[in-house]
Amino acid sequence: MDPDSVAKAFVDHYYSTFDTNRGGLANLYQDSSMLSFEGQKFQGAQNIAAKLASLPFHQCQHSITTVDCQPSGPAGGMLVFVSGNLQLAGEQHALKFSQMFHLMPTPQGSFYVQNDIFRLNYA
Amino acid sequence: MDADALAKAFVEHYYTTFDASRAGLANLYQDSSMLTFEGQKIQGAQNIVAKLTSLPFQQCQHSITTVDCQPSGPAGGMLVFVSGNLQVSGEQHALKFSQMFHLMPTPQGSFYVFNDIFRLNYA
Repeated sequence: MDPDSVAKAFVDHYYSTFDTNRGGLANLYQDSSMLSFEGQKFQGAQNIAAKLASLPFHQCQHSITTVDCQPSGPAGGMLVFVSGNLQLAGEQHALKFSQMFHLMPTPQGSFYVQNDIFRLNYA
Repeated sequence: MDADALAKAFVEHYYTTFDASRAGLANLYQDSSMLTFEGQKIQGAQNIVAKLTSLPFQQCQHSITTVDCQPSGPAGGMLVFVSGNLQVSGEQHALKFSQMFHLMPTPQGSFYVFNDIFRLNYA
């Protein structure tokens, strides 16, 4: 699979899991993983999953506008840069966001999220 | 210098140079560097600088709203995620943008840009 396809497949999987079963995101992170969510820093799959599960909305839908990816170096990592919209149930207007992921390969031939940075894009 | 201070110093240097004289960015990239600019992929310092100096405006000013950073792995790299505004001279409204840099250390103790992804954030 070429990098662009891997990136798109990851993005599809990540956001559909987020939107249907946020708890299911935990296995995409490891103990070394880092998340910066609107400037707040978290480390480790447990803490990251706890933060995402605690976000103050029950239902949401991400719609992705752009996906860019580049290989991050000899270790086989991949950078994925996403922009899109986030519609929260009950809110009139969707929020705009940008997010970057640094994916690292697992021995099983999959990827996990080593770095994750999320920012809303205010008007 | 702690990572956050380093990221801020890099961001200030990068955008000040961009706004004063884009050709001066050349020494921040190497032959292996990659830029994705609004979806267009460019590799190598020469090609990257050629793209940036050919952008269709003479003068611009970046103002930075957020800077997030995380270490990218054992090689000592650093991920820097920026959002801000770009005022192009002659235009009435500033453009909003997001950009991510993957900085890698040089033997001299400095950093160069290995990965660079830029996207405008449309309303």
